[in-house]
Amino acid sequence: MSGVSLSNIKKAYGPINVIHDVNIKVEQGEFVVFVGPSGCGKSTLLRMIAGLEETTGGTIDIEGADVTHLEAAKRGVSMVFQSYALYPHLSVFDNMAFSMQIARRPKDEIKQKVDEAARILQLEDHLDRKPSQLSGGQRQRVAIGRAIVRQPKVFLFDEPLSNLDAELRVQMRMEIARLHNQIGATMIYVTHDQVEAMTLADKIVVLKSGSVQQIGSPLDLYDNPDNQFVAGFIGSPKMNFLKGIVNEPRVDGKITITLDDAPNTTFDITCGSATLNAGDAVTVGIRPENIGLEHDETVGPTVFLKPEFTEELGGVSYIHTQTKDGVRVTIERRSERNRVDQEDLQVTLPVRDLFVFDADGARLR
Amino acid sequence: MRPKSKNNKTLTAILLIAPFVLCYLVVFAYPVYKMFAMSFTDAPLIGEGDWVGLENYVRMFQHKLFYTSVYNTLYFVGLTVVPNTLIGLGIAMMIVRLNGMVQAGILILFFMPYILPVTVVTQIWQWVLDQQFGVAQPLIEAVTGKRISVFRDPLWAMPMVALVTIWWTNGFNVLLFISALRNIPQDYYEAASLDGASRFQQFRRITWPLLWPVTALVLTLQLILQLKIFDQIYLMTQGGPFNSTYVLLQLVYREAFGRNQGGYASAVAVALFVLIVIVSVLQYQLLKARGKS
Repeated sequence: MSGVSLSNIKKAYGPINVIHDVNIKVEQGEFVVFVGPSGCGKSTLLRMIAGLEETTGGTIDIEGADVTHLEAAKRGVSMVFQSYALYPHLSVFDNMAFSMQIARRPKDEIKQKVDEAARILQLEDHLDRKPSQLSGGQRQRVAIGRAIVRQPKVFLFDEPLSNLDAELRVQMRMEIARLHNQIGATMIYVTHDQVEAMTLADKIVVLKSGSVQQIGSPLDLYDNPDNQFVAGFIGSPKMNFLKGIVNEPRVDGKITITLDDAPNTTFDITCGSATLNAGDAVTVGIRPENIGLEHDETVGPTVFLKPEFTEELGGVSYIHTQTKDGVRVTIERRSERNRVDQEDLQVTLPVRDLFVFDADGARLR
Repeated sequence: MRPKSKNNKTLTAILLIAPFVLCYLVVFAYPVYKMFAMSFTDAPLIGEGDWVGLENYVRMFQHKLFYTSVYNTLYFVGLTVVPNTLIGLGIAMMIVRLNGMVQAGILILFFMPYILPVTVVTQIWQWVLDQQFGVAQPLIEAVTGKRISVFRDPLWAMPMVALVTIWWTNGFNVLLFISALRNIPQDYYEAASLDGASRFQQFRRITWPLLWPVTALVLTLQLILQLKIFDQIYLMTQGGPFNSTYVLLQLVYREAFGRNQGGYASAVAVALFVLIVIVSVLQYQLLKARGKS
């Protein structure tokens, strides 16, 4: 059974379309992350699922029932807000009990459910406090507790960790992952942070300007991005992009490409059914960890890079460099101690690790 | 620069606060002291009098008009303070749901009476309520069956003064409530509506408790202001008809400026002062207790 399914979802504010024909299927019990830069419509989409925003077109199904025009409270969803939205005048207990008090549930049941949620979230000692007496992480937990108590069909998280400091964010990220394993509910999580997306998600939906760019498992998106936007967005540090041109058009499903930075070498790459002509511009991408520091022309083109500075993180280090045209390229090294950033580097870009995108950003494969 | 010596700093501090302290002593502390002192003498409005002990107070408590004035003042407070606060809250809640220019425009309309001088306000309402030509008379006629000269009718006079006062001062309360309402994040209402709270439940469980500090402030400000009622009465009814709108400050005014009895007027003023202190402290304690529960 599907947890949540969005079909041809559209959203317009007056004449301005902000969500274009979005189709997403979330399986029951799945943890799905909507990720994208700010303004991509991910929060709007989440609020449409919650029922806080009207849906202009398309249908939203939750566990098989069409809820497109149902009011928020009847959809069986809980939402954790970026600001937590805890009621400042109520104690932690009353905050978590709010929905059941509204529904006039018996006192015993309320107490039992709140205690249960408090136990899961380790809030037992704080039930009498006001939100202002809690730390950021604890407030976050209360907000999650308030969602748990309702036993919703779907949990919605709207950038829940962005108000926390870096260390706490990592910790809460793990707690959310643990919570998902523990209660196994369908969860939809919105973030602009691709690391959160990668670490939490069963499935990631990458959005840009109100359109779905790609849907897939984290590693799927990492290893096999559909377009240049997804390739650049997923992965930290970012994928490096270099300019090139098509040298010879398609022969046996392959094209020959020359990099602007390596004009004397050409390489062949699979291009699927794409038709490109000689002289067409392409973008070639390579992840920082795939750039070879040794010079080996048999595996791919070699490029000269001018090191600018190195970030030494112990196990891993990042060498930040520039090509002669000023394009920034980051190289990742692992467990190496010798410095190599003193003089120009001639690095190898193995052909098997290259991604090629056409002028519109679509992947050639 | 070397740090100044301690004495030097103290001197600077004294010099800096001196102008204020001097003004405060001359125009506030001394007159207040003088009023208390005068209330124990038989002084006229201007000039000194002889010590008469508690005679003024004894006389005050035997004075029927004093009791009438206390009753009327409290009646007026009852007619204005709570209604004015609730009406202000209601209007603010309606205005805050509007957007942009419309909101600003409507707010200006409601605030406009507040900037009018009291003389203009009373003039407007004397026209509106005029028995022969007042635009409100058809309404009164529809309800009561006859035209009423409201400021000459003991039953109608005080409620009408209260109505005019509410119309005049309500804009300020609306303003306070609007800024308080704007401070409540929209998220709370979204979270509550996801939790299934109806509009009324959202108001009772979120808006009302979160507005309470401002409501308490508005109530207290209103209380103090309305206990000092004078201008509207002086301009519209002069205490009549049959003393049905006679209030404490008017009694003070009559005794001091009308009958040249400075000592007795001071005693009544002290009584009003004590009344204001008692009622506001009581109210403050009451509101504090409510806010905690």
